[in-house]
Amino acid sequence: MTPYVENDQKIDTKLDAKVPPGPLAGKWDQYRFDLKLVNPANKKKFDIIVVGTGLAGASAAATLAELGYHVKNFCIQDSPRRAHSIAAQGGINAAKNYSNDGDSIWRLFYDTIKGGDFRAREANVYRLAQISNHIIDHCVAQGIPFARDYGGFLDNRSFGGAQVSRTFYAKGQTGQQLLLGAYSALMRQVASGMVKMFPRREMMELVVVDGRARGIVTRNLITGEIETYDGHAVVLATGGYGNVFNLSTNAMSSNVTASFRAYKKGAYFANPCFTQIHPTCIPVHGTFQSKLTLMSESLRNDGRVWVPKKPGDKRRAADIPESERDYYLENKYPSFGNLVPRDVASRNAKEQCDKGKGVGETGLAVYLDFEDAINRYGEDVVAGKYGNLFEMYEKITGENPYKTPMMIYPAVHYAMGGLWVDYNLMSTIDGLFVLGEANFSDHGANRLGASALMQGLADGYFIIPYTIGGYLAETTFSEVHAQNSDEFKKGVEAVNNRINRLLSVNGNRTVADFHRKLGLILWDHCGMSRNEEDLLKAKSMVNALKHEFWKDVYIPGIGKDLNQSLENAGRVADFLEFAELMITDALARKESCGCHFNTAFQTEENEARRDDENFCHVAAWEYAGEEKDPVFHKEPLEFENVKLSQRSYK
Amino acid sequence: MTTKTINLTLKVWRQNRGEKKGKLKTYFAKNISGDMSFLEMIDVVNEDLTKNREEPIAFDHDCREGICGMCGAVINGRAHGHEKETTLCQLHMRHFSDGDTIVIEPWRSRAFPIIKDLIVDRSALDRIIQSGGYISVNTGGAPDANAIPIAREVAETAFNAAACIGCGACVAACPNASAMLFVSAKISHLALLPQGRIEAAKRAKAMVRQMDQLGFGNCSNETECEAECPKGISIINIARLNREFLKAELC
Amino acid sequence: MNWFTAFLGSSIGKKLLMALTGLGFCFFLFIHLIGNLTLYGGKNFFLSYVEHLHALGPVIIIAECGLLLFAVIHVTTGALLFIENWRARPVGYVMKKNAGGRTLGSATMPYTGFLILTFITIHLLNVHFVDLSQQTIFQVLQNIFAFFPYVVFYTLAVIIVAIHVSHGFWSLFQTLGANHPKYMPFIHGLGICFSLIIALGFGFIPAYIRFIV
Repeated sequence: MTPYVENDQKIDTKLDAKVPPGPLAGKWDQYRFDLKLVNPANKKKFDIIVVGTGLAGASAAATLAELGYHVKNFCIQDSPRRAHSIAAQGGINAAKNYSNDGDSIWRLFYDTIKGGDFRAREANVYRLAQISNHIIDHCVAQGIPFARDYGGFLDNRSFGGAQVSRTFYAKGQTGQQLLLGAYSALMRQVASGMVKMFPRREMMELVVVDGRARGIVTRNLITGEIETYDGHAVVLATGGYGNVFNLSTNAMSSNVTASFRAYKKGAYFANPCFTQIHPTCIPVHGTFQSKLTLMSESLRNDGRVWVPKKPGDKRRAADIPESERDYYLENKYPSFGNLVPRDVASRNAKEQCDKGKGVGETGLAVYLDFEDAINRYGEDVVAGKYGNLFEMYEKITGENPYKTPMMIYPAVHYAMGGLWVDYNLMSTIDGLFVLGEANFSDHGANRLGASALMQGLADGYFIIPYTIGGYLAETTFSEVHAQNSDEFKKGVEAVNNRINRLLSVNGNRTVADFHRKLGLILWDHCGMSRNEEDLLKAKSMVNALKHEFWKDVYIPGIGKDLNQSLENAGRVADFLEFAELMITDALARKESCGCHFNTAFQTEENEARRDDENFCHVAAWEYAGEEKDPVFHKEPLEFENVKLSQRSYK
Repeated sequence: MTTKTINLTLKVWRQNRGEKKGKLKTYFAKNISGDMSFLEMIDVVNEDLTKNREEPIAFDHDCREGICGMCGAVINGRAHGHEKETTLCQLHMRHFSDGDTIVIEPWRSRAFPIIKDLIVDRSALDRIIQSGGYISVNTGGAPDANAIPIAREVAETAFNAAACIGCGACVAACPNASAMLFVSAKISHLALLPQGRIEAAKRAKAMVRQMDQLGFGNCSNETECEAECPKGISIINIARLNREFLKAELC
Repeated sequence: MNWFTAFLGSSIGKKLLMALTGLGFCFFLFIHLIGNLTLYGGKNFFLSYVEHLHALGPVIIIAECGLLLFAVIHVTTGALLFIENWRARPVGYVMKKNAGGRTLGSATMPYTGFLILTFITIHLLNVHFVDLSQQTIFQVLQNIFAFFPYVVFYTLAVIIVAIHVSHGFWSLFQTLGANHPKYMPFIHGLGICFSLIIALGFGFIPAYIRFIV
């Protein structure tokens, strides 16, 4: 079996990243000047469809409306304020250097590239670091109540293993505050009439006319009506695909459907095997668990991670003497200790549990112990820093982390992979832009803490408003109306067929049952560590499950109604196909990098061993048709400004 | 973590889409683990219903970690259930006993029409924010973030108000179905900050007017909202809203 | 006056009307109580107070008109709020429990209000709109309190007023925007004390007149 077909001819034409020439630091400025502008009077003639209202979607919709474009904004929930960006806890990075500890745009750029294990595009990441400062300025102007010091100035903390304090935060609810900021800007534009809001809509199909993205087909989640919307460009900000694992820290409605529909219409999917598994989550407790809860990474600043030295030791934590505890991160990585990057921390937790040293009822957990911190600073200080997290932990587990060590285990958290985009954030379909977690662009093979919020807002507030203008200004558009266009009709037909097909299976198993099975296959075979044998096995298992799904799924209710089972079925159907793509990508990347850890490629110290000679590229996959392996395309990554090095956190 | 399981009788409000009336239907939830959240318990019931070829209970939910504000139902007469400062998704079954009967109803308010079963239409809250729950700043023109120092205590008070998740429990719990706590949280958040003061008067007037038009009841200081708010938003914010409104109208 | 009527017609405007008129009634209750406390000083002391009070002439008439105006505003606004609040939840809960915010006073405001209105009407008919050419006001009191069911009625009414005030007092401060973590506990306490003083001060009058004088 050939896992992928290399098609070198297409590289030059389709995968042109359009990175502007010139020195790194000046690229964005020069490019913004070079981009064509849309005459202010003409902006109102353009309709832009924005799907998603998270940090990227809401900020894009609001900013585009401020510029004078007409925006149609869609979200799956009852209100744009519910988007899952709201759950981000830790903070948002910016290279302000307010702490005077040696931070700079260059350092933020370098840390992000290195943290991503050198699998991200230099120019994009540098631009992100540049924009980071403007984001903070704008958010403060919007009234985001960031934490402040006693002098009234913004407070920073060190986060996710960064050696400098560059993280701005609002208690443990930074994502919420930033999202509500973007949401308020969006609501202001809704009131002004520039944004028309469509809540409780799910994007079911992308409509491409003459090679350009010109609209979408949605399902009204209340009535079940299939609706069509046209526009001059489509912006997808639909988040990540972590829920392909069933259990993740993502919200229940986070899904891959919008991205996957676009993929099937010709947008390439980049690096789908890059999924971040976050080390500090509350462990799984039972089969009916619906979701995993993340505990902010900041806990590792003071908590010490350990397991019993002896495998199978079932004593209570308090009964295990100091000499029989293995502080494995501190022992293995003396200089970073408990603060190693997420992928390293997660992999080591799994390694310990695989050795039988895991704790808790399931044996799938490690301790995160605050005893030393409490002894050193007192319970008050610890409570001041982590009080809300401790409460959250106690609420969920019923255990008091001041008294017994927390139990944590890694969980799927963030998708670094996503639809391939160029420097303009445009996908391989003209006029289809992809922002935030939905695109692949900035985090390489591993995302650093507090960088997701930064990227979502950079894309939405400060990049798309320029680059979409460039596209609109230099494109001649044909007249397209959703009501009388063949492509829209075909789109509606496809959606209806799909829904009818789902409803007519009329089997015996629930959607949730299939989703759970899919999740387990991926978690075991395409999770924190992979190998070719497992991946091949998983591929055939997923394929078999997919066929079972279409034979045996049962969906109650009808299509023309509020039908949550049907919604989930559509999403799981796409996850089943997407999972195959993910595994294909993991098989093709015969190296280890960041979150993608293939056991065949590791250093003597069990660290990820990259193969920069053969795999210093973005893998972008083109849909080739049902039951066909996708076509591989490669965007070589060129590092002109940083030296590729082996990550070491010893 | 607990291993003991419990059995429960649920009386759940079922109402078809487009119908004005609904009724409580009885279901049984068996072998429920104490570690499950309330919504996971409903998941189990729904999966059983589906297997029996009945339509599952429709309910809103998303993040399941108490921050998105999407979930919510009145559980045995209490919005989000009886645990303090807890959303329904964070209410765990260990707080119930074997054999309990649990009545589950949707938020009830004229401003939140029922869509189906436990799902209500809360778009009225968005419309209130649209009327002025923002600072009018376009992207691009902001001064340096540290240009305006804000006292730490002020920032924290503003944060505490801004922590509102817009779930609507305040409206559901209020004997008058008033949205004053929700409105006051946004008014307070923005009025406390120097950036938000500029539009404070206009905002207070517009948001109160909009709230009044949407069919919410009036605040009669019963403080049930504060008692049920999953984020512990204080009614001190309502007093601040009253002040801001009076100032805006009379000055 | 467009802005003004719009302002008073808003939910907070109506609350403000309730609060200000309520504040007026609290003030009236306070004055009324002080006056009535002279009863405990004996018949002559009381009658001399009444004489001094009536000697104020037009001031009394203005005050009475003011009270009547306040009553009209308080009652009509209260009724309006009651109807609006009732309409705000057309379908009620099958099961509703208090979360701990509601008190006896707050939960019963419209009902205690209605009962107080009824009481005041009867009270005015009994002690205000009476012919004082043949009897002193003290005798009027003696007569009505001789009828035991009336004593019960009066005492209950006083308790209901106290319950109404127990919520109304702090609530009016909240409506006026005067809620501060430092002072609110004091205002709450003051409200409770005021209610108790009213209940005790007015409540013992029948007993005093019946059994002691």
